[in-house]
Amino acid sequence: MKKLILSAGFALASFFGLMNIANAEGLTLDGPPKIAMLYISPTNDGGWTQAFDEARQRLEKDLDIKIQYVESVPESASAIRPAVERFIKRGANIIIGTAFGYSDTFKSLSEDYPDVAFLNGSGTTNGPNLLSYYGRTYESQYLCGMAAGAASESGKLGFVAANPFGVVNWTINAYAMGAREMNPDATVTVVYTGAWNDPTKERSATKALIDQGADVIGQHVDTPTPQLVAQENGVYGTGHHRDFREFAPEATVCSSVWVWDRFLKNELEKIIAGNWVPAPHGALLSMQEGGTDIACCGPNIDEEEEAKIMAAREKLMNGELQIYAGPLTDQNGTVRAAAGEVVSDGDLWQMDWFVDGVITQQ
Amino acid sequence: MDLITSWMGNIPEFAVPFALAALGLIITEKSGVLALGAEGLMLVGAVIGVGAALTFDNTAVALAIAMIAASIVSLLFALMVLVMRINQVISGLVLVFFCQGLTTLTGTLMGWTNQPVSGLGSIALWPLSELPYVGRFFIQNIVVYLVPLVFVFSVWALNRTTHGLRLRAVGENPQAADAAGISVLGYRLAAIVIGAALIGLAGAFIAVLSNKLWISNMTAGRGWIAVALVIFARWSPWKALAGALLFGCIEALIPQLAASGIKLPQYFVFMAPYAITLGVMVWVAVSKRDISSQPGALGAPFIREERT
Repeated sequence: MKKLILSAGFALASFFGLMNIANAEGLTLDGPPKIAMLYISPTNDGGWTQAFDEARQRLEKDLDIKIQYVESVPESASAIRPAVERFIKRGANIIIGTAFGYSDTFKSLSEDYPDVAFLNGSGTTNGPNLLSYYGRTYESQYLCGMAAGAASESGKLGFVAANPFGVVNWTINAYAMGAREMNPDATVTVVYTGAWNDPTKERSATKALIDQGADVIGQHVDTPTPQLVAQENGVYGTGHHRDFREFAPEATVCSSVWVWDRFLKNELEKIIAGNWVPAPHGALLSMQEGGTDIACCGPNIDEEEEAKIMAAREKLMNGELQIYAGPLTDQNGTVRAAAGEVVSDGDLWQMDWFVDGVITQQ
Repeated sequence: MDLITSWMGNIPEFAVPFALAALGLIITEKSGVLALGAEGLMLVGAVIGVGAALTFDNTAVALAIAMIAASIVSLLFALMVLVMRINQVISGLVLVFFCQGLTTLTGTLMGWTNQPVSGLGSIALWPLSELPYVGRFFIQNIVVYLVPLVFVFSVWALNRTTHGLRLRAVGENPQAADAAGISVLGYRLAAIVIGAALIGLAGAFIAVLSNKLWISNMTAGRGWIAVALVIFARWSPWKALAGALLFGCIEALIPQLAASGIKLPQYFVFMAPYAITLGVMVWVAVSKRDISSQPGALGAPFIREERT
């Protein structure tokens, strides 16, 4: 019995001891900061990685620091680990990843190198020296939905999406809510392609939507194909990742864009200042905190509509507007948030329900 | 617009690359060389096609250059399997990985990624294009209409010419062909190069004509489906064309169903093309009607007995 109490005491002591270390002492870098980034695809992919590379260039200027990078690191441990370890051997002490599939390898690397700060975009793992971050894309896509609702004549919007899970579904619902802000009768018909990067499927999805009467095409896939097809067919669209007016200037009325530098600048400054304690459940960034913004507005949006969109953007920027605030009911009548409440982050990640106006497969 | 009309119009976009790649594979495999590298060669055709279209602003030239480029890369495969007699399965896999890296690198260094090209306009095949429902199937670019002609010519060349006979002989029994004075390696080399040109055209079709841009790894596994189609078709070009059409029909139908608001279980729909391919392959294997249509010497390197 004595032994048991003693060991329990030890366990408690060591538990609190660990907690103390974790709480009181954040990570302080050993030497001067040396930052390295790992990209999942080439820097000129036109979307996700290019947005990171543009953020990197702005960060280099803002922080007056050189940031190394390596392109096209696939989502497998055998590719990630050597790349990261090579950077660490050369003295890097801040490693920034850019992919969901880096999560597990970054977790084990962060345990092997406790003196190095790890950040991972769209990752899912966190730790005392590892922070995953992602943007609340539904905020910027809500604004794009407003632009789409304003640009549409028929009120029938199409949406080309990758896979039916939380982060995609939340943009779809927000898109529909934004569209209905401008046109209460607007509907959003969704085609999932089952792939992030398959232009052939995106093209046929977009054509099918246009054939069915959609005159604005939103997207949550990686290539600019839906915007190109919209332009070919003389309809409008909204982009994702970057300002797709670059590819389809006559079609793209609004784009949800990544502005990672706004978040990373703050976070990197915190790391460099020392005693860095990453958020225990990762950073899910609102527009206020950086992450996403919009590039608006393209053709077929008049000044009054643009002012309305920009006013909503302002409200998101200062935290006045919450997209998933109650009272919120899905299409089946289930209450998802009561009045005065907001859908929790956990529920957002698992979103498998749709609001009125969304037409989708199950 | 009507679901069926829209659906019909999108079928060739999916079916043509499968058909061309499968035909290229059949020509190569009839000579006894197991070709798994279609995915890689399609990527080569795609990136070089877009690059040439951006450089020369001429789609016909771009397609020709894409075919030549795929043929040139296939010489590497020929070197491995014909001269060095490396295992053909491994050589094919290596070729795919090599091409994935090579094409991504090329597209990145040359700045060809995401650059739109002009492609080809559609030609309406009157009076077929006026038919109800299926009309839009006959409003396509010229290359789509050439596909059946390429098939007719290839089948004629394989079955009705001396060169075709020799090519098949080399694939069935290289020792006998060699004894008859036929150059086994020469015919195999020709089969690899010609097959690669068609596979390269399939890739260029996806990039230059259908999507009108290059994106890294954009063939998205269609080369592998072509490999499966060849087995499915038991090395018969016409069956491969039918298979490509079947597959194209299913792939083109999927977005149509969603766009017209028909509710189906999403993941079941994603799975459907592959489930049907699997089903047909099992059916072909079980029915065993023409199992012997596989070239006799497929996959076996030719080693001439040493002479004294």
